[in-house]
Amino acid sequence: MRARVGVSRVAEAAGGAAALAFLAAACLLVLVPLAFMAGASFMPALDIMKMPYRWIPETWKPANYLRALAGNDGNWMYLRNILNSLVVSSSIAVSTVFLSSLVGYGLAKFRFKGNQVVFLLIMATMMIPFETVMIPLYMIIVKLGLQDSYAGLIVPFLMNAFGVFLMRQYLITFPGEILDAARIDGCSEPRIFREIVFRNAGPAAATLAVLSFRQQWDNLLWPLLVAQREEMKTIPAYIVKFAAEKHADEGAMMAVAVIASLPVFALFFGLSKYFLGGSAVYSAGKE
Amino acid sequence: MKPAVTSGVLERNRSRWGWAFTAPGLVFFSIFSFYPILNAIWTSFFNKRLLSLRPPKFVGFQNYARVLGSEDFWNSVRATAAFTAGVFVPLFTLSLLLAVFIASRKRFRRLFQMALYSPAVLSSVVAALIWLLLLDPRGLANQFVNLVARTPGVDRRWLSDGTMVQVSTMMVYVWKYVGYFTILFITGIGKIPESVYEAAVIDGAGPVQRFFRITMPLLRPTTVLVSVMILIQCLKTFSTQYLFTQAGAPVGPVNVITLNIYNTAMRDLNLGRASVMSTLLFLFMLGLTWVQLRFSRRDEVEL
Repeated sequence: MRARVGVSRVAEAAGGAAALAFLAAACLLVLVPLAFMAGASFMPALDIMKMPYRWIPETWKPANYLRALAGNDGNWMYLRNILNSLVVSSSIAVSTVFLSSLVGYGLAKFRFKGNQVVFLLIMATMMIPFETVMIPLYMIIVKLGLQDSYAGLIVPFLMNAFGVFLMRQYLITFPGEILDAARIDGCSEPRIFREIVFRNAGPAAATLAVLSFRQQWDNLLWPLLVAQREEMKTIPAYIVKFAAEKHADEGAMMAVAVIASLPVFALFFGLSKYFLGGSAVYSAGKE
Repeated sequence: MKPAVTSGVLERNRSRWGWAFTAPGLVFFSIFSFYPILNAIWTSFFNKRLLSLRPPKFVGFQNYARVLGSEDFWNSVRATAAFTAGVFVPLFTLSLLLAVFIASRKRFRRLFQMALYSPAVLSSVVAALIWLLLLDPRGLANQFVNLVARTPGVDRRWLSDGTMVQVSTMMVYVWKYVGYFTILFITGIGKIPESVYEAAVIDGAGPVQRFFRITMPLLRPTTVLVSVMILIQCLKTFSTQYLFTQAGAPVGPVNVITLNIYNTAMRDLNLGRASVMSTLLFLFMLGLTWVQLRFSRRDEVEL
């Protein structure tokens, strides 16, 4: 008996070591392309494709970044496109949080006829793939004359069903006594929302903001449709164009990639709790 | 009598405010979700072209017949199915395995999670761009494979060979999302009570037994969720294929349904046919969601 326990202990320890080795190898493999991106962004194009590859640049070429920002034809369009991405992604993050809390609050704290129906209708929109509605959406934007404008890039994403769901689930636990006390004190409903509910939406609102920002930072399809003029493109559309151009320098391509990734990585390291927790909230909600 | 009246007024007032708060949502989703989906279905019955001044003509099911009879569409179905299958198996297995390993660690959990999750933070376009260079004939992927397989100087044609370009897109996808699904699994495992494992250890169950007898059955809600999420995401894949084909990879092998919709609408300007494909995609996803709902209902009853 004792021998068996001993054997299984040894086996378990060995298994644990193997698991650790597997984990470490997986993490390393996952990080390799990122290390490659960072290293290559400082290399001359020839070194990136050299036969035994050097992870640390032999000759440093920070000029890649200048080339990345100036563009192949030197019109500095990337700067403008970065600004566009920042404007679009932050506006969407702010409006998603605000509007989702508004609607989520209405659904969570007011019992009215049709409450459930409205909730289900909004949830049903989660099943609609964006690819299915992108053309009709595009036609709406064309009819409103909003092509090549910030409004055209932002308006279809002002809020989303996931946000409403998240905020409703969060606000449903908000103590009703506080709301009633405020009402008795003569506080108006909009003011209750602004001063009490919205101020206390903290963690859920932060998660939603971070996720919406990242999602829009990544959005390629919609800007490809709506932004035809170079000045209105966002980062992903710029990258596609930059990479497809003849004589694109590989080092500069990686510099473009690094620049595009810096803001989201800054968010990720600063607010990793909301990133990692965000997916957890999602799974908890979906179940 | 009087209090009842006031409470009735209050009640009506409250209900009015409820509508007021939810109204922006109703308006927004009507314009940007319900109208477009109905419009897409409607358009699929018309001979409508982008940028054309002629009024669209009603053609009944003709668009559907054309699409369902075209080799191009079935190639897209094949490409999407192949991509989904090729991503699903490794992505699901790897993220489950990694989650179990991470959950069994006492230290550095967060570090592992952050390392694995970091590619998910990148834009899909940036991810595709990095891999475009890694998969270059002179790039690291060839060097690495040749080093391991001891076949110096062989070009695997990652981006030019029909089969390999499919493998490449799958690889990029698995790499990018493995951390995301690992975290979903870790959350699911975290919900399994520790006491169940402790009891199993006392009964002499080894780690393999614990995995198959405890973790897997109790993890079922998460497993269903992750499966459906991977399926839905794979059906909607676009960026990697778009960037690879823009950079010169052959379109046919990776012409997934969303890429086909985009090209049919924006390059061929044929809105009718693009809408047919959109509608079919929507119906398929609706079916998937229904399956998911069925499964999760059953879990609730079981637990």
